[in-house]
Amino acid sequence: MSKVIGDVILDVKNISLRFGGVKALTDISFNVKEHEIRSIIGPNGAGKSSMLNCINGVYTPSEGSITFRGQTFDHMNSRQVAEMGIARTFQNLALFKGMSVIDNIMSGRNLKIKSNLLLQALRIGPAQREEEAHREKVEHIIDFLEIQAFRKTPVGQLPYGLQKRVDLGRALAMEPQVLLLDEPMAGMNLEEKQDMCRFILDVNDEFGTTIVLIEHDMGVVMDISDRVVVLDYGKKIGDGAPDEVRNNEDVIRAYLGTSH
Amino acid sequence: MAFFLETLFGGLMAGMLYSLVALGFVLIFKASGVFNFAQGAMVLVAALCMARFAEWIPAWTGLESKLLSNILAFAVSVVFMFLLAWVIERLVLRHLVNQEGVTLLMATLGITYFIDGFGQTLFGSDIYKIDVGMPKDPVFVLDGIFEGGVLVNQEDVVAALIAAVLVAALSLFFQKTGTGRALRAVADDHQAAQSIGIPLNRIWVIVWCVAGITALVAGIIWGSKLGVQFSLTTVALRALPVIILGGLTSVPGAIIGGLIIGVGEKLSEVYLGPLVGGGIEIWFAYMLALVFLLFRPQGLFGEKIIDRV
Repeated sequence: MSKVIGDVILDVKNISLRFGGVKALTDISFNVKEHEIRSIIGPNGAGKSSMLNCINGVYTPSEGSITFRGQTFDHMNSRQVAEMGIARTFQNLALFKGMSVIDNIMSGRNLKIKSNLLLQALRIGPAQREEEAHREKVEHIIDFLEIQAFRKTPVGQLPYGLQKRVDLGRALAMEPQVLLLDEPMAGMNLEEKQDMCRFILDVNDEFGTTIVLIEHDMGVVMDISDRVVVLDYGKKIGDGAPDEVRNNEDVIRAYLGTSH
Repeated sequence: MAFFLETLFGGLMAGMLYSLVALGFVLIFKASGVFNFAQGAMVLVAALCMARFAEWIPAWTGLESKLLSNILAFAVSVVFMFLLAWVIERLVLRHLVNQEGVTLLMATLGITYFIDGFGQTLFGSDIYKIDVGMPKDPVFVLDGIFEGGVLVNQEDVVAALIAAVLVAALSLFFQKTGTGRALRAVADDHQAAQSIGIPLNRIWVIVWCVAGITALVAGIIWGSKLGVQFSLTTVALRALPVIILGGLTSVPGAIIGGLIIGVGEKLSEVYLGPLVGGGIEIWFAYMLALVFLLFRPQGLFGEKIIDRV
């Protein structure tokens, strides 16, 4: 695989996050380069999801700044972040359970719909063509994720592994520049994990999407990531290529514990 | 037979009115997952606004034309309902994003009392009339088939037509437009909806506006039939069994549910009433709702309740 890693696209500087007296994150800095797969790993409670939620605008960091493509934001909500081209998936699925797979993924196109309401309601003229164009993109994603058979199924009825794929599909429908994946492999069996890995690599490869991946399963991460950040108790304890990180003393200690 | 048909028509028309109110509940629930207790209060305040401005506008401007002043009053009422929606979003809902359904329910309960009081402070608390020129005279139809024909209230027919148009428009809006899809998405999961760039606040304003319009239409029709008075808020209670029957998330369900309850009330009153000494009309709807809760808790058209463990 010969992909070209570009310049820094997302730059996280000195982020701290406090909830009352609890320090979830302390002075975290790292960057993400275009087209790379960048992982954030760490044991449970290390602050991985908090970090992702800061980037996604769900939390506002107490200190520090996040710069996306040269634009620094400190008070952003999720929607504004979405408009800038950052999509995400959720650790605990947050799909629209009553809606079909197609509608879920179509909802990811929401920001791209341009024609006015009346035309849409009547399905005439440009609105009809626009709807078809969006639908085509969505069908492409459905093919890509191999969920053709479940198009019309309400998402709530699908097994867990497939719901995770729909979650990914909805994020992909936004055609994001950066895709934040929050534990996409949590709770999956080996086969499902392998499928998900393949999808992540393909997304990165085919669409050129930059990926920020959160995972606590070290094995998976080391195989597919370009660079890895390691967090423990809200602090950064390692940063670099998978091999460097694997041999880092602090990282080993965090994962295996110290002998007393 | 003619008498049966008359009762049936009467029931259908009454049912249509229940449907209109139920529709307001369904809209807000569908689009924000909030059971909006304030729907009844919104019907009242919309009707009050309409009734009062229809009086005030000719008095202030010396406008002669009744039609014109009704149109103006309607326009003012629409603006009023939009403002109300905007204020509710701004002051209440915006601060409750991602909260539990129960919290939001309690908030709408608060809104109910506020609107009740505020509306009557603003517009007065007497009984007012709305006269939008609905035809009042009953007519006989089908007299070729039955002797003497079937007595139908023209006003009811017009009301039914208006309701039908409203429902068709709303169904198109929900099923066919991107905004409709966004509304359904918001109802399912606030957090996820925001993450894909759906503007939660704007969606809420839109849906409360639409519910406001529905309340206004319901208020005008009820008001012109029964007069505008405080008891209009209790209309909301009549709509509850309709929603249980039709399903909280279904626009067609609200309509069919309303019709079933309307017809059921009238037919049971007329044919079963004498056997038990009458008064069935009052509790029939709730009884039916209870039976539905036992056997089909999601209602006739509601989304099936799926719970993965």
